[in-house]
Formats: sequence, C-alpha cells, structure tokens
Amino acid sequence: MIELHRNGQRLAIAGELTIYHAAEVHAALVPLYAETELDIDLSGVSEFDTSGVQVLLLAKREMAQAGHALRLSGHSQAVLDVFALLELGGLFGDPQLLPAGGAPA
Amino acid sequence: MPKTIMIVDDSASLRQVVNIALTQAGYEVIEACDGQDALNRLDGRKVHLVISDVNMPVMDGITFVTELKKRAEYRFVPVIMLTTEAGEQKKLAGQAAGAKAWVVKPFQPATMLAAVAKLILP
Amino acid sequence: MSGMNLEAARQTFIEEARERLQELEAGLLALEHDPQDGEWLNAVFRAAHTIKGSAGLFELDVIVGFTHRVETALDRLRSGEQAFTPALGALLLRAGDHIGLLLDAAVAAQEPDAALLQAGQALLDELARALGEAPPPVPAAAGTLPERVERSGGAALGPEFWHISVRFGREVLRNGMDPLSFIRYLGTLGRLLRVATVTDGLPALADFDAEACYLGFEIDLDSPVDRDTIAGAFEFVADDCTLHILPPRSLAAQYLELLRALPEDDLRIGELLVNSGCLSRVELEQGLRRQAEVQPSPPLGHILVDQHGVEPAVVDEALRRQGQVRERKAASARFLRVQAEHLDALIDQVGELVIAGAAVALLAQKHADTALEEAASTLSRLVAGIRDSALQLRMVPIGETFVRFQRIVRDVAHELGKEITLQISGEETELDKSVVEKIGDPLMHLVRNAIDHGIEPVETRLARGKPASGHLRLDAFHDSGSLVIEVGDDGGGLDRERIRAKAIANGLITADHELDARGLAELIFAPGLSTSDSVTQLSGRGVGMDVVRRNVESLRGSVEVHSTPGAGTVFRIRLPLTLAIIDGFLLGCSGSRFVVPLDSVVECVELDTAGAGVCPPYLNLRQHALPLVCLRELFGLPAGGGARRASVVVVQCGGRRAGIVVDELFGEFQTVIKPLGPLFAPLRAISGSTILGSGEVALIIDIAALVQLAAQRRPVLPSRSPA
Repeated sequence: MIELHRNGQRLAIAGELTIYHAAEVHAALVPLYAETELDIDLSGVSEFDTSGVQVLLLAKREMAQAGHALRLSGHSQAVLDVFALLELGGLFGDPQLLPAGGAPA
Repeated sequence: MPKTIMIVDDSASLRQVVNIALTQAGYEVIEACDGQDALNRLDGRKVHLVISDVNMPVMDGITFVTELKKRAEYRFVPVIMLTTEAGEQKKLAGQAAGAKAWVVKPFQPATMLAAVAKLILP
Repeated sequence: MSGMNLEAARQTFIEEARERLQELEAGLLALEHDPQDGEWLNAVFRAAHTIKGSAGLFELDVIVGFTHRVETALDRLRSGEQAFTPALGALLLRAGDHIGLLLDAAVAAQEPDAALLQAGQALLDELARALGEAPPPVPAAAGTLPERVERSGGAALGPEFWHISVRFGREVLRNGMDPLSFIRYLGTLGRLLRVATVTDGLPALADFDAEACYLGFEIDLDSPVDRDTIAGAFEFVADDCTLHILPPRSLAAQYLELLRALPEDDLRIGELLVNSGCLSRVELEQGLRRQAEVQPSPPLGHILVDQHGVEPAVVDEALRRQGQVRERKAASARFLRVQAEHLDALIDQVGELVIAGAAVALLAQKHADTALEEAASTLSRLVAGIRDSALQLRMVPIGETFVRFQRIVRDVAHELGKEITLQISGEETELDKSVVEKIGDPLMHLVRNAIDHGIEPVETRLARGKPASGHLRLDAFHDSGSLVIEVGDDGGGLDRERIRAKAIANGLITADHELDARGLAELIFAPGLSTSDSVTQLSGRGVGMDVVRRNVESLRGSVEVHSTPGAGTVFRIRLPLTLAIIDGFLLGCSGSRFVVPLDSVVECVELDTAGAGVCPPYLNLRQHALPLVCLRELFGLPAGGGARRASVVVVQCGGRRAGIVVDELFGEFQTVIKPLGPLFAPLRAISGSTILGSGEVALIIDIAALVQLAAQRRPVLPSRSPA
C-alpha cells in the first residue's frame, strides 16, 4: 500500500516506499520537479528500500540542478534507519528529527 | 514488526527445524507443504521472503515460483530455492522462474539462517 | 546448532522418515507390477529425497550419505536412464530396510556400529554393480569449506579494517534483492565504520527506471571474519554485482588500484577513502598525479553540498543524530550468540577460581594476617558473584521446548482420533541449558503417554459427562530453588487395579502386599511395567516410565505422579536449576570427605553394631532389609582410628534405597561440582569432586550407581583389597 497526498508544495508519502511502488511514486514526483520548492513528508513511510532511496535521490538531483529546493521532513523510523545505514543524511542535508519519545527500534 | 517468511517443503521435520531456527532469530514463519498449499495460504498476506523446495507433490517448486511471480503483490518477493547438489538444471530453471537465491540440501540450520539474513534481517 | 533444543523436531524427523520408508516400500512394490508408472517413481524418489534432506539437518551424516546413493539410483530410474527390474526393486527394498536400521541407531542416539556401516557399504556396492557403475565411496555429507585467511603481509601499514567496494547490477531490485539487506548483513559480521553511497550511476531523468538499481557503496567494515565470509554476503548477487574487497592493512597502492578499477571519478572516491582513513591525502594526491587523468563530470554530493549551499550546521546536526540513531540501534542488538563450549569453558574456569579462592582464604587463615584475611574474603565474595553470573549465562527459557509440543499434540491426537487442546504456561521459566537439552525426551514420553493412555476416546469422555475435547497442560515454575514441570491431563486417571494386577503378574509385589494409592501410582515407574492393554503404534516403542524416571534422575531430578480416578493425572518433574551446583550433604569416613546430593538423603540413623571394623551387609530398618554400603570398604580406606560409632545415611534413587555407612555427618553444604578427569573414569560410584572451604577435596557420590552397587554388592576397586 502507498498513499500520496499533495497539498500545494507539499507531498505526503505514506505506506511502503519500496520496489512495489517506486515507479508509481516516481511518476507522481516528476511533475512536481517544476515547483520552486517542494516539501516531502515522510512521516507515514512504513517500509523503505533502495528503490525508495533512488527515487528521492533523483528528485533531489533534478530539482537541485534546476535551482529548486527539495526538503524532506518528518522522516519515519523506517526512513531514519536507512538514512543512518547508508549515511544519506548529509547528502540530502535535511534535519532529521527523531520521533518524539519514541526510541528507534 | 517482524519480517514474515514462508517455508514451503513437504518434509514436516525440515519445516519444523527451519521454523524453529527462524522464529528464534526473530522472524515470523508460515509453513506450507507444497506449492498449491503455499499459494492458498498466501492469499494476499504480506510475505518478505519465500523458501521453497523444488521437488514436492501436488505442485512443484518451479511451478510455484512461476505462479508466485505472476501475482502483482509477490512479483518482487525474494525466493530461496532448496536445491540438491545434483540438481544444477533445476537450479537454473528456478533462477529462470525468479528464485535467485538458493541453499543446497542437506543443510544446517545455521546455513539457512545466514542465507536468510543476507536477504532480510528480522 | 547451539542453544536450541531440537529434540522434538528430531522426533518428528524419525516418525516422518519411517512414514517415508513405508511410502518407499509401497512404491517399490507397486513398481514391480507396473515398472513404468511415473507417479510411483516420483513418489519413491521423493521419499528418499526427503529423508536425505531432513537427515542433514540433524547431522545424521551416515543416513545422508547412504540415502544419497539410493536417491541417485532412483533418479536414474525416474529419468529413464535405467530400467526398473524386479532384481533392482528387491535391492532397493533392502536399501530401504537398511535406512530403517540407521534410523533405529539414530533413535538410540548412537553412531551406527561397524557391522551396520559395512552392511551399508555392501549394499551400495551391490547397487552400483546393478547400475553398472564402479562402486563409489560413500560421499561425505554437507561438507564445509575450509577456512581461508587472507591478509596482506605483516607490514603495519594501511587501515585495520576491510574495505568493500560494490556496484550493483540493474536487475538486482527486480529480483527481490535489496542492497540494503546485504549491507545490514555485513553489519552482523562486524562493525560498519563507514558506508558511503555512490550515486554516480543514477542516469538522466529520461533514462531512469524506478525498478532498476543504480547505486554502489564504499564500505569500511571492522570484522574478524575471512574474505570468503564477506564475499559470501553477496553470494546471491554474485553474477549481478561488481565486488572489490580489500583486506585489513592493505597498502596504499592497493587502494589506488581500486580507484582505477572503479568506474566513478577518481578524485571523488579518493576523497571518500581519505575521509575514512583508507588513504592519506598525500598518498592520494601522489597516486592521482601519477595517474594524471582526472575526469570532468561533477558528481552529486558536490553539487548538493558545495553549490546548493546547505548550511554546514544542518549537515553536522544530521550527522550527529545519525550517530545517535546508530548507537541506539547497537544497544538494541546487544544479544550475543556464544558457542556453548566457550560458555562451558568459562564455567569450568570459574569453578577452578572458586577452588583457588578457597585455598587463598585457607592460607590467609593459617597466617593469621588480618589484612590478608580481609582481602581473601573480598575475593571470595567477588568470586561467588562471578560464579553466579556465569551460571546465569547458561539459563534459557523452557518455552522453546514447550512450543514444539503444540504440533506433536495435534498430530498425535489426530492420529488417534482424539480431540485434545494443549495449554502451555510458564514458558518464560528459565533453567540451565544443559538441563533443557536433556528434558525433551522424558517430556515427550509423558505427553505421548497422556494423549495415548491418559485422555479417553471421545465416546468414553462423553459417556462420563466430560467435554469431548481432552485437555493437556504443560506448566513450568520455580519452586524453592528447583524447577518444576508439570504435565497434566483431564483423562481417566491411573487404573490402580490394573497396575496392581500387572505388578503382581510381573512379580513386583506379592498378592497380599497392601499398598496405598500413592504407592500404587509409583509402581508405574518400575521397570517392566506397562499397563496398556494393546500395544499401540505410539507407545509400542519399548520405552517405559522407568526410562522417564531414569532420565530425570540422571539430571538429579525426580518425577512423581498424582492421579485422581476419573479426573486426570499430573506428572510432576522436579529438576535442579543447574547441573553445576548442588545442595550437598557432607559426610566423613576415615578422614576423607564425601558429598551426597541432599535431595537423595532420606534419613540418617545410627549404627550401633559398628566399631568392630566390619559392617553388616544389611540393616533391619523398621522391618525392612536395607542394603548397606560401607564407604571405607568400598574405597579401601584405612580403618578409622577412633571411630566408635558409625552413622548410616539412607539414600534413595529410582525407588530403591541403600544405606551409606560413614563415621561422621557434617550436614548441608553448597557444592560446586567439578567433573573428574578421565583418570577417575573407572570409579563408578563417584560422579565428581568439590573443594571444601578448608581446601580439602571431597568426592561426590553418584547415588544411582551406589544404590546399584549396593544391590549387587561388588567392590569398586576389584584389583585392590581393602586395607
């Protein structure tokens, strides 16, 4: 399951950001590259794999090349785990807030 | 949330040992005794990894994996085939069907655990 | 596999293998009538195949090796390479019988003896001749690869960790393989010091396929494993990735070579290597200058950080948090898998430490040096703490043993046409690993017995006004320093009249012998008493309750039964929490010290006829003849100088009693058991030794063996006459 909610310059991704849905998410993101600023809310991401990482990396690169800003926010635990493993925090440059009260599993 | 693994084999004791080993390592395990039984039991249920024997009554492993990969919700699920040292051809057939990992029978539980851990951690 | 009780699964295997053998036999017989039948050929092949596959899990290598040859022969029949002949069929039937014999050996937990192995080889030779092959040797089962250690020379150059450089193929993700998993797996082999994600492979937007894989990783791993193990992490993508592994202490030249081999920009990957300490900056610059080829394409990381002006502080914060996440992750993964023998070695050494500590304390006392005594007492306290912690390491919950019965109860009940629900409680109760491993068999027997004999058939239950479904209960709890396991059923209870009749028939009691209800129930533990009318498939395996009692007692435990007619039976097994420490009872004889387990002691009485030096063979204890064993005579000790009186310690084991004649009783004593060396193996009545606070050695008496000796009245040391 994956759900995408767009609200202006904000896109919330919820569910499994994995190979099963990577193509769908990518297709939804491409038109948004034109926005000068985009905020992707990852708080609802329950599963996250390499294909998910790639879709976000590509968005970051494409928007950066056009001089647009992509911000990731609300990193869910699944996202934080992968970012920590692959040391992606610096690459994306967004502050990752640990979920309040919840210690990472 | 623990990762779910399905073990498909017609040997109850093999399933049991694999089940014990995997459960102890923190996975959730579903057992099925042949390909058809496996398809019935899956029924849309989320599974992160499938371990399947090749030689089984009712529906063999190759047919099972081919059927599994036809279903959208399982098309990317990793499959470990249980092959025999003599079964090189079966291994190739399994790979063609979409089972890219394998463990050679007979195996020790530790070997299976390591193979599984390479694909998913609990 | 350490730490896992596989007894139940092993039992399943034995049963399953027997079923498969029947299928094999049925199939071979059917093939005699219709040699072309593909279904039967498949079934026969599968039967052999399954036995082999499962036997391997239980390390039954002889069965694996033999069945492998049978399977190969059947495979040739199946593929049509070989025609089925009645002669071949007969040979295969004999091979099936042979597998049955190997299973028997496995049931008895024995290695097949030489004769059996020889018979197997003869069969295989015959099989090979029948198939027109040269007789092959029995192949070794499931071989392991020899460990290969690959490290570059002894030079103290280069970093102390592995560097792994991997680029994944496009199809990896679609094949269900996630590179993240391989990296996580590496993390289980050691400590991931650095994982740098190489994104240079991401194509232009138009060419991007969201299901293809474009990433690569530069990984620094601190791990003691060998190169094969690290390469093994990528085994399933071996054909679908480019992998470079540099062992610890690789030289700068090797890293520079890696740089050249990698497809990405040398400078960027070079930075990565410098950052993680694989190369020094000077080495990198010199190396690159020598190569004198720098490619122009600007990589992703640089654009992001240099051109887009991300606040360095934000990046730093992200990295800091990342570190925190990783630390917590590490905290949650603080379970260690330790090899059982390492733990045993530790416990053994701690035992030595306790003894050494006692010696120090004794010396301190002798020297009457207060400071030394204080230091020694602190030491003793710490050592006792270490001993307790070490023993705690071996404690495992009993739940894993219990859970396995779910399936067995279901299957056995099904087989017998009974309905039974199993209720499990106290799974979290902990006990020593070595005890857990040995309790599976007795429990299995009690559970089977309850299903087979305890719980009545459905009709009987309904007739007695009970629910159709029987109730079986497994429970574990701690009770005053020991572990209690109960197996309870709501069946008909023990049939005392039948037990009595059987016992009389078997000469265990005389017809006029009056026994209370409890005594009658205890009779079921007597050797040679089986009360079942019909030998069913389940219990006709020649294992009786006497074996259960013996198994439990070999763990220094006890088993008792409580039965209420019409309402059910409860078997209660009481076990020590650990096999390394017991509550002992300290005895003295001719200046030597002995320990008997406290729970085997029934009572102590005085022997007034002693003093003359020779003790009588029997004591009349409340109108019962109690066989006596005089430790002095048994072990050939010097006659005690001043002992005028003697004491008899009445001990009990397996329902039999004996009296141990000694000079002195010292009372209860916490005993750390040290196993005896092989030198003492011939001493049948001694199970171990311990060191007393005084530094003296005390021998621990094996009560089971002693009671048996008392019955046989044989000296332990036949070659040496008592002094």
